[in-house]
Amino acid sequence: MSVAAAHSGGIADHIHPEPQGFVRRYVFSIDHKIIGIQYLITGFVFMMLAGLLAETIRTQLLNASGGFVSPDTYNEVYSVHGSAMVWLVIIPIATGGFGNLVFPLMIGARDVAFPWLNMLSFWIFPVSGLMLFSSFLMGAPAAGWTEYPPVSLQGAPGTTMWCAAIFLVGVSSTLTGINFLVTILKMRAPGMTFTRMPLFVWGQFATAPLLMIATTALAAALAALFMERVFGVPFYDPTKGGSPVLWQHMFWFYSHPAVYIMILPLFGIISEVLPTFSRKPIFGYKLIAFSSMAIALLGFMVWAHHMFTSGLAPFLQVLFMVMTFTIAVPTGVKIFSWIATLWGGKIHYSTAMLFALGFLALFTFGGITGVFLAAVPTDLDLHGTYFVVGHFHYVLVGGSLMGVFAGMYYWFAKMSGRLLNETLGKVHFWLFFVGFNMTFLPMHWLGFMGMPRWVATYDPQFQFWNRFESVGSYIMTLGILCFFINVIYSIRAGKKAGPNPWNARTLEWQIPSPPNYYNFKHIPTVYGLPYDFSQPLPYTGLEDELTDSPPAQLTGAHH
Amino acid sequence: MAIAAIPHDAHGEVDQLYVETRELRLQGFLLFLISDCVLFSSFIFAYLYLRNTGQGWPPPGIARLDVAFAAWNSVVLFGSGATMHYALENWKHGNFMKYMWMLIATIILGAMFLGGQGYEYHHLIFDEKVTWAGSGIFGASFFTLTGMHGFHVFMGVCYLTVLLLQTAAGTYTYQKYFGITAGTLYWHFVDVIWVVLFSIFYLL
Amino acid sequence: MVEQKAQATSLGRGFWIATAVMAVAAVAGAIYWVYAPIESWVPSIILTAHQVDVFFRFLAAVGTAIYVFVVGYIVYFTIVFGAKKTDPPDAIGVQIHDNHKLEFWWTFFPTLLVVIIAIVSYLIWAEIILKPASGVVVEAIGHQFNFTFRYPQINGEVTDEIHLPVNVPVTLNLTSSDVIHSFWVPAMRLKNDTIPGMVTAIKFTPYRTGRYPIICAQFCGTLHSTMNKQVLVVEDEASFNAWYHGMQLKNAHVSNALPSTSGTIALTGGDAAAGQALFSQKCSACHALGPFDQKIVGPGLRGVLHDPKHPTLVDGDPATPENAAKILQQGFTGPMGTMPNATTNGLSDKDIANVVAYLNSLK
Repeated sequence: MSVAAAHSGGIADHIHPEPQGFVRRYVFSIDHKIIGIQYLITGFVFMMLAGLLAETIRTQLLNASGGFVSPDTYNEVYSVHGSAMVWLVIIPIATGGFGNLVFPLMIGARDVAFPWLNMLSFWIFPVSGLMLFSSFLMGAPAAGWTEYPPVSLQGAPGTTMWCAAIFLVGVSSTLTGINFLVTILKMRAPGMTFTRMPLFVWGQFATAPLLMIATTALAAALAALFMERVFGVPFYDPTKGGSPVLWQHMFWFYSHPAVYIMILPLFGIISEVLPTFSRKPIFGYKLIAFSSMAIALLGFMVWAHHMFTSGLAPFLQVLFMVMTFTIAVPTGVKIFSWIATLWGGKIHYSTAMLFALGFLALFTFGGITGVFLAAVPTDLDLHGTYFVVGHFHYVLVGGSLMGVFAGMYYWFAKMSGRLLNETLGKVHFWLFFVGFNMTFLPMHWLGFMGMPRWVATYDPQFQFWNRFESVGSYIMTLGILCFFINVIYSIRAGKKAGPNPWNARTLEWQIPSPPNYYNFKHIPTVYGLPYDFSQPLPYTGLEDELTDSPPAQLTGAHH
Repeated sequence: MAIAAIPHDAHGEVDQLYVETRELRLQGFLLFLISDCVLFSSFIFAYLYLRNTGQGWPPPGIARLDVAFAAWNSVVLFGSGATMHYALENWKHGNFMKYMWMLIATIILGAMFLGGQGYEYHHLIFDEKVTWAGSGIFGASFFTLTGMHGFHVFMGVCYLTVLLLQTAAGTYTYQKYFGITAGTLYWHFVDVIWVVLFSIFYLL
Repeated sequence: MVEQKAQATSLGRGFWIATAVMAVAAVAGAIYWVYAPIESWVPSIILTAHQVDVFFRFLAAVGTAIYVFVVGYIVYFTIVFGAKKTDPPDAIGVQIHDNHKLEFWWTFFPTLLVVIIAIVSYLIWAEIILKPASGVVVEAIGHQFNFTFRYPQINGEVTDEIHLPVNVPVTLNLTSSDVIHSFWVPAMRLKNDTIPGMVTAIKFTPYRTGRYPIICAQFCGTLHSTMNKQVLVVEDEASFNAWYHGMQLKNAHVSNALPSTSGTIALTGGDAAAGQALFSQKCSACHALGPFDQKIVGPGLRGVLHDPKHPTLVDGDPATPENAAKILQQGFTGPMGTMPNATTNGLSDKDIANVVAYLNSLK
């Protein structure tokens, strides 16, 4: 892509007509920024619902004998909680939400490659979410978010709805993956080589193939479960020759990469927030970018570490164990690089930065406990216990969700033109951080001492720590309430942000907040990495961005 | 992908917008085919996995599939791949009528393949009493995979028919014909999938 | 723009003091894990459990040490390099992009650590998994919602407790009659799924006597959380033999063949009292002794054969003793749910007659 290409009437020069009317502007919009916000709003609404389910779980577990809801309802509640948090909250927010909102701006594009497809991807998502939650009306899925057959074959009719809902949201993910991949490959601004891409773009670039490939494998598994439940086609039922372990292979072939779908974009957010608020280049840019790709690739080769107790052939146990260990290396390298980024900085304690630092601390903890589960000897003890529940909540809440909040406090200014309230933000952070650790840290020893996961009642000896966890979860919920209040308050009355409140250097901050529907008046040319704080910005062609003049294409001055 | 002519706009200038958009679409379409391929691969994995957990293949009580008939049917499908290839080549060289005949031949061969598959299904279901849901993992994997492929062929035949009508109506020019390129790619993709399915169901 | 020139050239004394503090904390944390009273939290009763504990200590010690440094540096850097009020608003940090030597070492050391962990876990894994089959062979069968056990010379199935002699190698073959369960004894640091249609085995040698809970660690249905009541009893050889012979005598009359799911059942002479005992043991997990609508998994069964409001059973047949016996014998799977058959339930024809007599006695 040469500089000249930008001046020849190609995509870079082409501005879609301005959308007219409320519906085209905000409902069936093809503008990636609006779609990103739609994803975020929908994702957070589903987060509230799934959060209510989480509090139902914790309230039930206040007493060893349960009693808040019936065992059947309890099983439905945590199954939908898990499914919703994975497929309707973290994945859509991390990819469809922040991905859409930010990365086309970061690479200097006017939109994603296929805006209409993008709109379709989005609209599939709330529909499938409603389908999933509506399964409560007919008996929700109750075999956990993994829905292992044969017990899921016995499940209530809602399990079939679950299959359909997750299949659909998977279609949405796949289309998003294709869209993002083409956009990053083909629509970068002149001069934005791969080694000049911001790390958030690298995060999305590593995630997109996972969305595209892994999700399709899950679609096959779900389709087979659907056919078996509806038409009785025997894939998984052992009494008809099927194999329940087949589901586990197909499910985890998706669901392990899904872990990286849920974390790589957030790695990207952390890699943007840390340099901006440390006023320092990201340390080891190339290694961070490369390790994202390595993690994405390795993520496809480790799925059976979820199946060490499922009668896996011995040599496969060793193979998958060793493959899983190798992921610790690129992940560790990232964490060291982020910490080194802090060294010698001028650190501003903004809320976004606090969340990024919280991410580092909590994600690392989840990574270390992950080694216990990757090693077969300890996994044979800890698999299927609360240790696992603690581990993945450290990764997915302490990691992913912390990253989501970091991203929200960072980019809210860009999407709304106003800043989120910092004081309320810090209250949010500390309530969330303290509540989180209270909730999930004791799970590790509860699991070790013999508390299995997915139980509506438990041994009374565990009651104290379970109550402690429940109190923690209520504190965490208060924190999240602060966030929602903050968003609602700040949209109306927040401090005006201006184009670049954080003095950040990536492209999206060089244009007005919120950006115009065409993003850039003139596509800039890129001359270097965005992280060099001692240098002038490495872009040209941005001179008009903050003036009132419309782009040349719209005044007819072009050609 | 060889591009025969550089598209120009009404003023005789290179239509850069079209060239770039076509590149995006081509890439997006290829990625779509890759993910479709993963869908097939997953079911193929499921088939091979189930096949290896059972006692022998085909399972007791089920006759081996009729290779000869399926082989002839495959020849029909591969023939349609060839005609589709020539259709695109002829379009690139501006031979409108040859293109049309080749496209029609492709559609007919595709439909013949579907007919052959229908016949085979009929034979299996009514003569051999092998059904989708009632014949264990054999019925499940065979009918699901070949059915999925058959559905792809059916979608292809529909698309090619639309393409035929569109070309007759003058939708495509000799410079701008991404729809034809996409149709050809899709058709070849369906062919390749059949090579794999034929090998693992009839030959293995 | 103002750079922090002073710190650009050297790490500074504060850095080394902080590092030393972290090192002390890391070593203290690691030592804690070396001596942590793991066995007072959960006893360990098989040889490999002890090895798993050693490995656990090793991972926890290394993990704690690494974590202390990670969090230590995050906190230290965040405090020391915080922007001060006196800094000009455009002050920036040290403009360092990378350091290849540093990056090499912090890639090299984790790699080395990973190799070590992989080798150690391979060795322990081989101890747990690759041992040849020997000693007592016991079968464990998962059901919704209990395990049953079969011993070579004991007829029928053993429920409630599994007894094992101390210091004798055991091979436990696992399978399931319905869905996937997981046989987990925390005191053995070992679990394995019981998978329908598949037999998997775990091998171990218990070396400590006592009673240890058996827990299902894989979700298996509505009452999964109640599947933790059974006990693994390890005892000396004399006690074990006494128990074993007792079970042999008690089950002498039981045929070792699995109960059949076909054939007619003679319902005359059913013993309602014996049926009541069987009901509480085999049925009450899913069926309440309440009215029909009081559903747990299946309907409540008080007066099910005499309820004018429900003249038919769930499968639509009239509520007669014969049809109730048919359901108990043959089970069903369908839109109304799943009812295990006699083979799965382990109910003999006599048992079924007793249960039906009991149900018939409830008005």
